[in-house]
Amino acid sequence: MQILLYILKRILQTIPLLIIVSLISFFIIRLSPVDPLAELRLNPSVSKETLQAETQRLGLDRPIIVQYGKWAKSFVKGDLGVTSNGEKVSTKLAERIPNTLLLTIIVIFLSWVVGIPLGIVAAVNWKTPFDRILTVLTSIGMAIPSFFFAVLLLIFAVKTGWFPVGGLTSSNFADMSFSQKFLDITHHLILPVTVLFTLSLAGLQRQMRGNLLDVLDSDYVKFARAKGISEFKVIFKHALRNAVNPLITLLGFEFAGLLSGAALTEYVFQYPGLGRLILEAVLKSDINLVMASLMMGAVMLIAGNLIADILLIITDPRIRNGS
Amino acid sequence: MRRVIYVILAILIILGVAKSCLRADVANFDKPELRDKADTIFYDYPGQKNVTVNGVDYLQSQAQLGNFGGTFVTSTIGEGPKTFNPFNAKDNISSTMSEIMYDGLVTTDVVTGETIPKLAKSFTVNGCEYIIHLRHGIKWSDGKPITADDVVFTWKDIIFGGYGNTSTRDSVVIDGKLPTVEKLDNYTVKFVTPKPFAPFLRMLSSPIAPKHIFEPAVKRGKAYFDGYLSTNTNPKEFVTSGAFRIKEYVPAQRAVFEKNPNYYVINKKDEKLPYLDRIVYLIVGDINNQVLKFEGGELDEISLQGANVARFKEMEKHSDFKVYNIGPDTGTMYIAMNMNNRKDEKGKYYVPKIKQKWFRDKNFRQAVDFAIDRDNMVFNIANGLAQPLFTPETLNSIFLNKNLKPYPKDLNKSLELLKKSGFYWDKTGKLFDKSKNRVEFDLYTNAGNTEREAIGVMVKQDLEDLGMKVNFKPVEFNSLVNKLMSTLDWDMVIMGFTGSPLEPNGGKNVWLSDGTLHIFNQRLEKDLNSPRDGFETKLDEMFIKGALATDFKDRKKYYDEYQAIVYDEKPLIYIYSPIRIAALRNKFKNIYPTSLGGVTHNIEEIYIKEK
Repeated sequence: MQILLYILKRILQTIPLLIIVSLISFFIIRLSPVDPLAELRLNPSVSKETLQAETQRLGLDRPIIVQYGKWAKSFVKGDLGVTSNGEKVSTKLAERIPNTLLLTIIVIFLSWVVGIPLGIVAAVNWKTPFDRILTVLTSIGMAIPSFFFAVLLLIFAVKTGWFPVGGLTSSNFADMSFSQKFLDITHHLILPVTVLFTLSLAGLQRQMRGNLLDVLDSDYVKFARAKGISEFKVIFKHALRNAVNPLITLLGFEFAGLLSGAALTEYVFQYPGLGRLILEAVLKSDINLVMASLMMGAVMLIAGNLIADILLIITDPRIRNGS
Repeated sequence: MRRVIYVILAILIILGVAKSCLRADVANFDKPELRDKADTIFYDYPGQKNVTVNGVDYLQSQAQLGNFGGTFVTSTIGEGPKTFNPFNAKDNISSTMSEIMYDGLVTTDVVTGETIPKLAKSFTVNGCEYIIHLRHGIKWSDGKPITADDVVFTWKDIIFGGYGNTSTRDSVVIDGKLPTVEKLDNYTVKFVTPKPFAPFLRMLSSPIAPKHIFEPAVKRGKAYFDGYLSTNTNPKEFVTSGAFRIKEYVPAQRAVFEKNPNYYVINKKDEKLPYLDRIVYLIVGDINNQVLKFEGGELDEISLQGANVARFKEMEKHSDFKVYNIGPDTGTMYIAMNMNNRKDEKGKYYVPKIKQKWFRDKNFRQAVDFAIDRDNMVFNIANGLAQPLFTPETLNSIFLNKNLKPYPKDLNKSLELLKKSGFYWDKTGKLFDKSKNRVEFDLYTNAGNTEREAIGVMVKQDLEDLGMKVNFKPVEFNSLVNKLMSTLDWDMVIMGFTGSPLEPNGGKNVWLSDGTLHIFNQRLEKDLNSPRDGFETKLDEMFIKGALATDFKDRKKYYDEYQAIVYDEKPLIYIYSPIRIAALRNKFKNIYPTSLGGVTHNIEEIYIKEK
């Protein structure tokens, strides 16, 4: 019951936050000197009438505050509006969201399944050669910029011919059988997943190792060891549960990054996800599309934090009793 | 100590991996060379002709017989098409894709630039009257015949009715009146324009829509029509007349077109074309990715720019593609000076009085023109892949005035012209005007366009040789457009336009004194009746007369005159026209690149021959 009340309170708190976020983003986009019609204006074959019609259609002839009001009204009603080309924003997003989710979920799954155990092993074998090699590798993984790594892998794909150069499906995808389709998508996913996995794995492994080392140094672990409990039990029953808290917060952020975290890599690999769509929208100042993606990002971040906090309440009795 | 060894080991491993991944690119030591027109390969395109087989009026390809089957993969940069409805298309790629699917009554001869019949069997023009004879027996992709009803419906209901993108309609309005269209019999249509209007014939290349498919959509109103046949439409709903029709569209990935089984072009053995089963357009985000995809073998065709040309030329010797020089582009790059002498609402001059005197002085403009080293720019900025430009019509235009000769940079002439107008230099070589004002102004271009930025730097250097002080300021594209079109507070700018090699009338928005893009002397709404400069009146006259004359020779006279005026008065100083280069895999045959049509204008005749 208490938890439910807490959740309700948190959800109510997000409403003013979203209003402020939307106001700031809307005004910044509209006040920037980007003119959505600049391209048309410089085209000798576009007539004055067409320009006027476009200005009216996009509502650019009205004050910003009126434009914002119009947008907010339809947003509250659940209507995301239309893009500057007249397509529905919701359809545009729905086309891309599954692709992005496919990529990010695979990456998150892999990096957690591999990263947590690696972190534990490294912490337990602290200062052994194994730990040191891992430290070097993860440092490289954290230091290398994602776009640069992506470009390197793309060149690798071109030179060897082993992997497709970006994209998600081959051009004859529609004619394939189910298993061929599966293999085709896997083939296309390997490189982008490698890039994102390397980065995310490195961070996660370092985090897990650090936390566990902290905890292993504490008095109660020493006490448990002194009691003669087996090392396995000491780590998994006593140390690990206490070391996992920061990771839950991290999980909340990973949730927030589900839709937007891979944008740069998506762009380099020409992956048909949200990243490319939104970048192009920002460049054209396609207000409804940009606003929709910004709001989506804000909601995901808030939701991710909320989920992390709830998980923390469940796992950590100290927080539970404190609230 | 041990840690150091680990670090070194790890670095060695990574270096090894990186080394094995990278194969050294072929070094290129060739200096860029100035390519002239002679380098362009003109292939002898045999064309197509009308034949009647079993009562059906086909168009017969005269090219070599080929094999059926195969796929052609090309690409488009950006977001991909917004619509497949040819009447709604506003951007390049949407028009390209809908033009693959819907043919127009006429088309352009890719060699001579003349208007020739396409979906129509023939046409006759008599002053204001255009009689179109349609082909007997040809069909839409669903098997229904293509008749005069479709043509009348397309022009009367869709285009003149103002559905979709109204630019075609806007451009055929003559003195506020629209042409009329009338069905004479099932296979004959008559158009009548209110006055003789030369550009109208080429307008007839607008796609024709199947009445039985489009009529219900038109009846549901304009708002519905705007979303009709969008990219989300089920491909099965498309009924087309072109060589291909849409088969599959995957957003941000590709559009796949399959052959239209009822296409009306046949080969010399009377087999129905196209040879290819499929055309695939991959949708890629940027040029770099496009190049990688071509090198990775995923693309069959690519257009090349700048440094890539030299690299591909080198690779060409030992790979499976050929690099084609298709001749000058339709794009033009120019320097404009703000000749505006009007005041804004607050009574302030858009351009300070002192600067007006310079920019409105023909000698000053000519001096700037003679000071600019076009050859140097072609060499150093365009890698030799461009041609110096002196006229507003592009070099491949059929209306190009060939009497206007190119000339090299000539500083002495510049100095002379400036002296004539009373400019003088102080001891340090700084330039002053008659009233002792230092000649100093801002030069703008859009930031991010590396080509224009490079030109800006060179123009600045060239003009500083004359003692002028040039403040070169690349600004963000949209703010620049705002300056040029609304606030008008600029001095000099480097910009580009795309032109048409076939129809100078397309440039009327630039050259008519009340045009929306009359950039060098832009008149805002309130200034539309302000006095014209002498040469502006002449340009207005040429453009009005040029559009009303119907004979090519008469028109050429007017448009020659307009080019001569611009060549002399220099309201815009043209710099160069880039040359288009494309690479295409060797396995494709029947390739006849032309300057007007590009590489794949005869897509239905292209076939694959594997070695």
